[in-house]
Formats: sequence, C-alpha cells, structure tokens
Amino acid sequence: MIRLEKAGSTVSPAADGAKASPANVRVDLPLIKIRAHRPWAAVDLRELWTHRELLYFLIWRELKARYKQTVLGISWVILQPLLMTIVFTVVLGRLVGVPSGSIPYPLFLYAGLLPWIFFSSAVTNGSESLVASSYMITKVYFPRIIIPAAAVGVRLADFLVASVVLIVLMRYYGIPLGWPLLLAPLLVVHITLLALALSAWLSALNVRYRDTGTALPVLLQLWMFASPVVYSEALVSARWRWLYELNPVAGIVEGFRSALLGLPFNRSGLIVSVLITMALLVGSTFAFGRMEDEFADIV
Amino acid sequence: MKPIVSVRNVSKRYRVGRPLGMRPSLREAVTNFVKSPFTQRNGEANGETLWALKDISFDAQPGEVIGIIGRNGAGKSTLLRILARITKPSKGEIDIYGRLGTLLEIGTGFHPDLTGRENIFLNGTILGMKVQEIKRKFDEIVAFSEVERFLETPVKHYSSGMYLRLAFSIAAHFEPEVLLLDEIIAVGDLSFQEKCFEKMRSVSREGRTIFLVSHNLNSIQSLCKRVFLLREGRLCAEEEPQRVLDIYLEDKPPALINS
Repeated sequence: MIRLEKAGSTVSPAADGAKASPANVRVDLPLIKIRAHRPWAAVDLRELWTHRELLYFLIWRELKARYKQTVLGISWVILQPLLMTIVFTVVLGRLVGVPSGSIPYPLFLYAGLLPWIFFSSAVTNGSESLVASSYMITKVYFPRIIIPAAAVGVRLADFLVASVVLIVLMRYYGIPLGWPLLLAPLLVVHITLLALALSAWLSALNVRYRDTGTALPVLLQLWMFASPVVYSEALVSARWRWLYELNPVAGIVEGFRSALLGLPFNRSGLIVSVLITMALLVGSTFAFGRMEDEFADIV
Repeated sequence: MKPIVSVRNVSKRYRVGRPLGMRPSLREAVTNFVKSPFTQRNGEANGETLWALKDISFDAQPGEVIGIIGRNGAGKSTLLRILARITKPSKGEIDIYGRLGTLLEIGTGFHPDLTGRENIFLNGTILGMKVQEIKRKFDEIVAFSEVERFLETPVKHYSSGMYLRLAFSIAAHFEPEVLLLDEIIAVGDLSFQEKCFEKMRSVSREGRTIFLVSHNLNSIQSLCKRVFLLREGRLCAEEEPQRVLDIYLEDKPPALINS
C-alpha cells in the first residue's frame, strides 16, 4: 500500500530512514518524468507489465459484454469456422478435389482455418481498436499498446474456445494425439505475437490516416489464399517455395497443422517465419512508440 | 520541503493548419512519398501553429489544493492533460513523485451492459488502481455511492444520478499522491456534492495534492489554498484565491509573474 505521511510531518518512516529520503516524499513512490516528444522511443515494456491487470480487464469486458448482448454468444465463435469448413469442403474438397494427403479434408481444413480466422480477425479488430477507444485515450493515461493487445487477446480467447471443436473432430476421425501436439502452444504464441505486431502498427497508422482499414479486408482475403489454409503447401512448386515462405503466416499455419495431425514439419519455413515475426515485432514497437505521443491530440 | 510536482518551462504547441474534417489519408501520404521520397514532410510547413501553453513553471507541495481558472481557450485543460500524461509537452519538463490519478471525466470506460459491481473493477483498473486495492475498498465505494441495491443491475438501467455517484465514488477512493480533476465536482444533488467536497478536503489532509480546473468560483474559493490564473497560455497570476478571483473578475491586465 502506498500512503503519504500527513502533511507537515517531517519524519521519514524508519524503513526509509537509511536512504535519507527528503521529508514527505517516500522513496518507494514512482517518479514520473514527463518530457517532450522523442521521435525514437520504443514501447516501455516494464510499464506495460505494471498495467497487466488493465489488459486483463479490457479483454474481460469485451468477452463479458458480448456474451450478455447476443443470444448466440459463445456459439458464434464455434459456428464461424465450422460453417466455413462446410462451405470449403463442399466447394474445394468435393467439386475441385483439393488433395489433403492421408488426412480427411474437413479436418485438414478446420486445422488451417482455426489459426487463420484468429489471425485475420485479430488484425482486423486490432487495427480499429485505437480509434474505437478514443474516448479512453483522451481521458486517462495508460500504455496505449494495451488497446491493440486487448483486441488481439479477445480473439485469442475465441480461438481457444473454437479449438475444442478441433479436438472433437480429431477424435471423430480417429487421429491419435501425439507428442508434436506439445508444439502447438508455441505456435499459438507465435501467431499471437505476429497478430500483435501488425495490430499495433496498423492501429497507430489508423489514428493518423483514417483510410488505413479500407483496403484491409481485401488484403486479408488475398493473404488467406497466399497461405496454406485451404490447401497444402506441398501444392506450391519447389521453385517458388522460398518466396512463398516469406509469408510468415504460411510457416505457422503449416506448422500448426503438422503439430496437430502428426504431419512432417517444414523447418525452414518455420525459422523464416519466426525471424520475420521478430523483425515485425521490433519494428512495430518503435513505430508505435513514435506515434503514440500524438494519439490524444489527433484521434 | 521538496515539491511533489515540479513543472519547468512547459509549452505546448498545436498545429491548426488543416481545415476541419480534412484528415490526411494514407493513400495521399503514399502517393506523395512515391512522387518525391526525399522531401521532409512533417506538416509544419503548411499550417499555422498555436501555442496553447507558453513557458509554464511552478512547484506544488504535498497536501496542496490548487485551483486553475481562466477563460475558455486559456490552456487550463491542456495543462491538466499534460500533467495527466495524456498528451506530451512540446517543450519543458515535469517531475511527479508518486502515483497520478486523472479525472477528466467520470465513468471512463464504463460499459452499459455490465453491472455496477463489474464496472467498479473495470473503471478502477482504468484509473490505475490495483485489483487488490479495489477489493479492499469495495464496500466503502459502494456505501459512498449509495447504490448498494443496484450492484447487480447493468448500469444502462441506472438513473443519471446513480451513474454519476457510482463513477465519482470509484474515483474518490483511488488514493494517488496527485489527483487531477476537471469540472466534475458538481455531481449529484446538494447533499452528495457536500459529501464530495468533504472527501476532497480529507484527501488533502492526508497529504495528497489536488489540481482542480473549474469555472465554479465558489468551489474554487472554498477548496483551494492557491489559485493559478491562465490567460492565453500563460500563467499570469498565482496567489491565494481571493486575490486571483478579483483579478479574474475585473479582467484587468495583471502583471506577468511568471516570465
């Protein structure tokens, strides 16, 4: 607990006495330094940690409010990937006949759609999040990156709920649960960080340029077909594989599917994906830190 | 005595060039960049600048209640927003020893579909309280706000008075070392207002520092020991309330004391 001594008192508490603190200012109090804008500032991670409860409550608020408002509530989170799976199974599995190897196509599809839907909805929500939260940004201080992080967190919760269906499907199709499954959580962390990096960057851009989100749905649609979501990476010819793997989502989706369904891993694709994600994360931390000072003035 | 808040030569500049409603577009920025990638563009060239605050310096001691008055556009809210860290100063430095509580508006982040109980935790964390702290003060907050019976009701069904009382009560039980208040003390009916005033006096007696922006000169006079008068972004008087209020009401050009 933080408490000041009564005004006028000149005695420091014994615990602080050794440090010869100035009267009336406890040494355990944080010093807040407010300085003019610096163009090269990354997001302060330590400060982010001290505000972790706020992150939790913002995610909690969205989830709680959503399940109070809509009758479908939680079921929509499961229905969306399920309906997409049915549609793609009919169109691509039956009519076109996309090969999925030894794995039944619906299961193959669901295992790819699950991380993709998480990623694309997190980026969509995240990029709009700062502008949507302008009423908070202009009224109180907190590390601004919590806003896009909370948007991603909400979608992560949806993803975890929808994963239950995947387990059910795997049981239904008789896929054994193997050791590679333990890699899945790591891949979830990986795709979360990638979604966070893009969300932070796009949300900050969106504050300054309101047309940032206009092209996003189309771009995400293209991105989905440039990733091995509805088809296997094996269909991409070896000559262009290196270019294909520059898409960080490709390595993650393929890796996620391998971990769950016991398929062989594409190591080089995963490594490239990790490197690109890290670069994006560092870049977006600086881009965000550079732009966040002016959010309240222009939002 | 060491000041708890120390403000040195703070200025804030706003750009006022762009016509209202004309936001820069990404498409525009990208095309400009492609056309001439090496031109520096930071918007300062095309647009006037306005100094909302000019060279403000002062110290505040623990336990002080400082009123900030001035006409519309004098820079009161800008000063508060800079102290609150919502926006950054263009120049100058500020040091604050302790936690900061900002109340520019009550009920920031309240969600209409959540209950009173849920909103206490939500709003409390947004203000900067720890969950442990909210739990400890929960009963006090509820008692002060007088909404016990409606704790499990979504706040969208609250009357405006109940809503305001709950929101103020959460904020009043946050115990930061420095509290920034903007025009929000006139909340609820007369008896609740008196309760709020009493709460602020006790906050000050505990050694916390309050900054209070208000157009209500009565509340300024009854609560503050020192009053700042801002005029066109400058701090033009800094004295005990009665003298500053006289200057403000007569509106004669006072001597600049902070040059």
